[in-house]
Amino acid sequence: MIVRLEVNGERRLVDLPPLTRLLDALRGPLGLTGTKEGCGEGECGSCTVLLDGDPVNACLVATAQCEGRSVTTVEGLGALDGRARETGGLSLLQAAFVTEGGAQCGICTPGMLIAAEALLRETVDGANRKPTDTEIREAVAGNICRCTGYQRIVDSIAQAAALRRRVSPADWVRENLPFAKAEGTRGLL
Amino acid sequence: MSLPELSLHGLERPDSLGSVCERLAERAARGEKTVLLAGGTDWFVERHVAPATDGSEAELVLDVSRLPELRGISASGDTLWIGAATTYLELRRHPVVAARVPLLPAMSKDVGAVQIQARGTLGGNLATASPAADGVGALAALDATVHLLSVRGPRSIAISDYFTGYKRSVRAADEVITGFTVQMPGEGSFQYWRKVGTRLAQAISKVALAGVAEVSDGQVTRLGLGMVSVAPTTAFLPTVRALALRRPLDRIADSALDAATQADVSPIDDVRSTGDYRRHVSGALVREFFRTLRSR
Ligand SMILES: Cc1cc2nc3c(=O)[nH]c(=O)nc-3n(C[C@H](O)[C@H](O)[C@H](O)COP(=O)(O)OP(=O)(O)OC[C@H]3O[C@@H](n4cnc5c(N)ncnc54)[C@H](O)[C@@H]3O)c2cc1C
Ligand code: FES
Ligand code: FES
Repeated sequence: MIVRLEVNGERRLVDLPPLTRLLDALRGPLGLTGTKEGCGEGECGSCTVLLDGDPVNACLVATAQCEGRSVTTVEGLGALDGRARETGGLSLLQAAFVTEGGAQCGICTPGMLIAAEALLRETVDGANRKPTDTEIREAVAGNICRCTGYQRIVDSIAQAAALRRRVSPADWVRENLPFAKAEGTRGLL
Repeated sequence: MSLPELSLHGLERPDSLGSVCERLAERAARGEKTVLLAGGTDWFVERHVAPATDGSEAELVLDVSRLPELRGISASGDTLWIGAATTYLELRRHPVVAARVPLLPAMSKDVGAVQIQARGTLGGNLATASPAADGVGALAALDATVHLLSVRGPRSIAISDYFTGYKRSVRAADEVITGFTVQMPGEGSFQYWRKVGTRLAQAISKVALAGVAEVSDGQVTRLGLGMVSVAPTTAFLPTVRALALRRPLDRIADSALDAATQADVSPIDDVRSTGDYRRHVSGALVREFFRTLRSR
């Protein structure tokens, strides 16, 4: 079945069996391997993407159900920022995970970032306020991390929320991640 | 690991509820299996655990997630309509639901995590007729009416008449759940939701209790209770309801509530908990419900 959808702001088309999981469409023909598979059963959140702005588990969504809809993956976070070149490809949220130690092996990180992005859009962008600690923990409650413990992830998200309104990602990255400008940080996440 | 077996299933996207009913009727008459795909949060997990093994056995999937007739929440007077394909996140975000039936967003917040809430639907929650369904517990406390449709026409059933046994219901193979109606509790009503699970998120209930009460002149004038994971089907706690309804609140003793609760539940040991623990928690939740109601 031919399915037309928007992925990270670009119009894309895939021709796949209709019940192919969105996860497999992304990692296969769409070439976006940032989205990871952990459990395949909706439990771990490592496959989290935004579907029309809401976080969903891509392992539980049929590709055919995405016809005409918009999908955001971790690859889209920096790019959607519009200042990707200045920030070495990272959004402020991604960069905060680097400086605050929110990522170790990185398997859960794409899902954590997307779940956190949904929260920041709702609270910081939508209501012009910082999320509470409880809200941050609830937002990533469906995302399991084997490595970091959760405190650093929560700290990373809180840091990104505090900065999201106040500074441009470019300035913040220049100050906190001096290597980013020179080398680009794409390889880090 | 991808799931190649998913390619054994055909998928159709009927553009109206009428065509869904026709397709279901044709296929049911031929004894062919059809599944309605809403949020997929139950179906995809089932396919991950037990993939189809051969194409002729694989059920046909009809995507109903975007059928306008199954979507949406609307209020007319004191009656609330909730389409079967309404997600938990939509319930959390709806202003009328938040103001008049806060039980529903409270329950929705406890279903899985936000990723599940964004996809999972109330219709899908009822369809499997699992006693562990949180949404159904809330609908039971609200004494919701379930609306079904087939080529034979629509019918409406009180949710207490819906279940016939563990994962069994009166719904025929060719019937679609179109939605639910609820008489919204009045201003000043008491609504209660408490879920006991292993952790706050991503945990199927060991026990959960949904409750709705209205009190007038110290007497309970409306009482609805729905308990999750304590019996073969969602438990409506008829003995507790009979004990307390139209009674002065201060004359409902805890000992009587305990006895009534124990008469209404028949929990089992399973991977999530034990029958003994569930009995204990059932009693505690019912007592807490009435204690909070009395102290308002
Ligand atoms: C990680 C995880 C956590 C979960 N946590 C909870 C929880 O805390 N509490 C809880 O109650 N559940 C939980 N669930 C289960 C599930 O999310 C819910 O039962 C959900 O409501 C199912 O809805 P759905 O739309 O996704 O169903 P689907 O998977 O789309 O469908 C399930 C079944 O319902 C049928 N169906 C769907 N819509 C209709 C209709 N309109 N008419 C007739 N039949 C229909 C389908 O044919 C299918 O057989 C969890 C699931 C996962 C994966
Ligand atoms: S892989 Fe999708 S939730 Fe674990
Ligand atoms: S960083 Fe390794 S699983 Fe979270």
